[in-house]
Amino acid sequence: MENAIIAIAAAFSIGVTALATSMAQRAIGSAGVGALAEKPELVGSIIILVAIPETLVILGFAVAAIMLIGG
Amino acid sequence: MIVEMSRVEIIGLKQFLDKAIQSLHDFGKLQIEDIRDMPDLMIQPFSPMEKMNKEREDTDLRLANINGLIDTFSKIAKKSEPIIATAAEVNSYQISENVSDITNQIQYLNNRKKTLQDELITFSKYLEMLKVISPFIPEDIKNSGNATIRALIHSSQTSTMKLLANQLKLVTDGKFEMITAKVGDDTNAVIGIFPLELVSQVEGFMKNERITQLILPEEYAYLSTEEALDHIENKVKMNHDELDGIDERLKRMAQEWLPKLRLWQLICLDRIDELETFLKTGETEYTFTIFGWIPDDDYDALETLLTSLFSDKVSIRRVDVPKQLKLSTPVKTKNPSIVEPYEHFVKMRATPSYSDIDPSSLVAIFMPIFFGMMAGDVGYGLVMLILALLGVKKVKEGMLADILKFLKIGAIWTMFFGVLFGEYFGSLGEKIGIPPLWISRSDPKNIIPLLIMAISVGVGHILVGLVIGAWNAFINKSRSHLFERIGMFVGVIGLLILVGAMTSILSDGFRIAGWVTLAVGLVTLSVSLGSSGFFLGPIEFVGLLGSILSYLRIAALGLASVFLAEVANELGGTIPSLLLGLLIAILIHALNIAMGILSPTIQSLRLQYVEFFRRFFQGGQSPYMPFKRRVENNK
Repeated sequence: MENAIIAIAAAFSIGVTALATSMAQRAIGSAGVGALAEKPELVGSIIILVAIPETLVILGFAVAAIMLIGG
Repeated sequence: MIVEMSRVEIIGLKQFLDKAIQSLHDFGKLQIEDIRDMPDLMIQPFSPMEKMNKEREDTDLRLANINGLIDTFSKIAKKSEPIIATAAEVNSYQISENVSDITNQIQYLNNRKKTLQDELITFSKYLEMLKVISPFIPEDIKNSGNATIRALIHSSQTSTMKLLANQLKLVTDGKFEMITAKVGDDTNAVIGIFPLELVSQVEGFMKNERITQLILPEEYAYLSTEEALDHIENKVKMNHDELDGIDERLKRMAQEWLPKLRLWQLICLDRIDELETFLKTGETEYTFTIFGWIPDDDYDALETLLTSLFSDKVSIRRVDVPKQLKLSTPVKTKNPSIVEPYEHFVKMRATPSYSDIDPSSLVAIFMPIFFGMMAGDVGYGLVMLILALLGVKKVKEGMLADILKFLKIGAIWTMFFGVLFGEYFGSLGEKIGIPPLWISRSDPKNIIPLLIMAISVGVGHILVGLVIGAWNAFINKSRSHLFERIGMFVGVIGLLILVGAMTSILSDGFRIAGWVTLAVGLVTLSVSLGSSGFFLGPIEFVGLLGSILSYLRIAALGLASVFLAEVANELGGTIPSLLLGLLIAILIHALNIAMGILSPTIQSLRLQYVEFFRRFFQGGQSPYMPFKRRVENNK
């Protein structure tokens, strides 16, 4: 039972952060594409902006890994 | 490496300005500053003569026409001959004449094409209707010299038409015959046959009843339906042939003229640059002045050139860079060819500052290694290497070429880490008895070493960034930045000692040393941030730890890749049919390789841009753009 709860918690940890990342990337990505259409030289900055929210899911992954390994 | 630049001033007699600008254009190493952007300078900007303004207008117009023709021809010719970048024996008059001639030809051909296409649309409607009507005209009536009316009417109008036919029979003493045939769900074809002299009478009746006749163009109006059909079919064929001929001619013209037009486009752009350069110079009654930037190594060559061409009539000297111009020094980078793609990646973020250390070489080292760590599979690496080698042969320039060159090196690192992790298309290597040299990523027990590896890489990478940042701050005499970076560096070292002591890697005695070092680092960092440093210092340090944790993506992406490879192998193995199983496994592996190219590239680039560059890179200065010919001048 305890293992199941840990597994669900780990799934939530990575699932919710992935959802949050995707929501952030959706907004940044669409705005970024719009900006790139007008200023292609912004490509470097747009990559950064799109990639920044991915830290969320990486941290979610770290927490999930700790939970699973600790469990 | 960032190339050292010299700011130069060229002064000469005004009569030599034209030749001096031509020579500088040929030399191609001087970036000319616009004197109008230097309000402190007590030199009058050059006033162009009317002739020069006229030439500028003409060149702009010529260029617009050339661009239009290139646009038109590019859509027609898929491939064209390469541009021969030499302007020998081509002058602006010849270009204008040729452009005007080609434009006229294109206009004539396009107009003719439009006329033929309009005719075809009309004739296709006639053909469609005549083909429907033709089978219902009795054989004995054809070619009898009688007149006919033809119409396609809606079914609801059929009764009206019958009444009309009866009336017409009365009017023509029974010489009117009408045939009606159903040609569609709601459409009837109506053909009326009557003596030629009754045409106006019959047509009058038709008009009053608002029945629209099929009226053919004048040249076909007096022909029988069969004859009209033949003639129109011939005409349609002729139009198609002529259209094909026009298309063929346009294609030939595109192939012949496109390379020349592209060359002329460059010649016009070169001339516009020259005319623009005149406006960037300063003048007095008898002299001209040009300010510019040149790579330090090229200064002597330019001095020798000007002396040989103008003796003492034009002179050049190095001038000091005023404080307000320090940030406008153009930045030129020079790296070995293997580093060039990474130079472009850096510039995609921002051109480095003149006082920065060019990070291209470091990116060239770290980016492929991170890529290899994430992808880490011998089989995948081999496929990526083959794809990259094939791609590099075909794509020579541009962003894609840079990515392919990076992929080539990244694929080698992927194979290297694949050997360490024992991955050959996932776990296939293990199944045939090839063990990992270090750890197997697919084994859950090895997740901790994998995470430690990712964090260690992050610590190492960020410490390198902080050392470069501290060096930059030292060179630029920025004390606050220097202390900030030293504080962060010391703080991270303190944290490492502390973690070492807590995990018994180091003896317990190091615990105090770790706390002290961490505290020293934090205090140094806080002090560097000024009065609000008490709050901002710890926040910045936590941000730094977040950056280090961000390197966990190296492990996360690697795990995702290895488990997808595992899925491919397992799923392929569960299918009874060997062929189908193999196909499914190949498809999933192909998907994993595609994702394995895309995702690690972006994540690796992101680690450079966000975590690494943030520690030292300022960027944002303007790149070096010398006044250089696009087309070699052989005149």
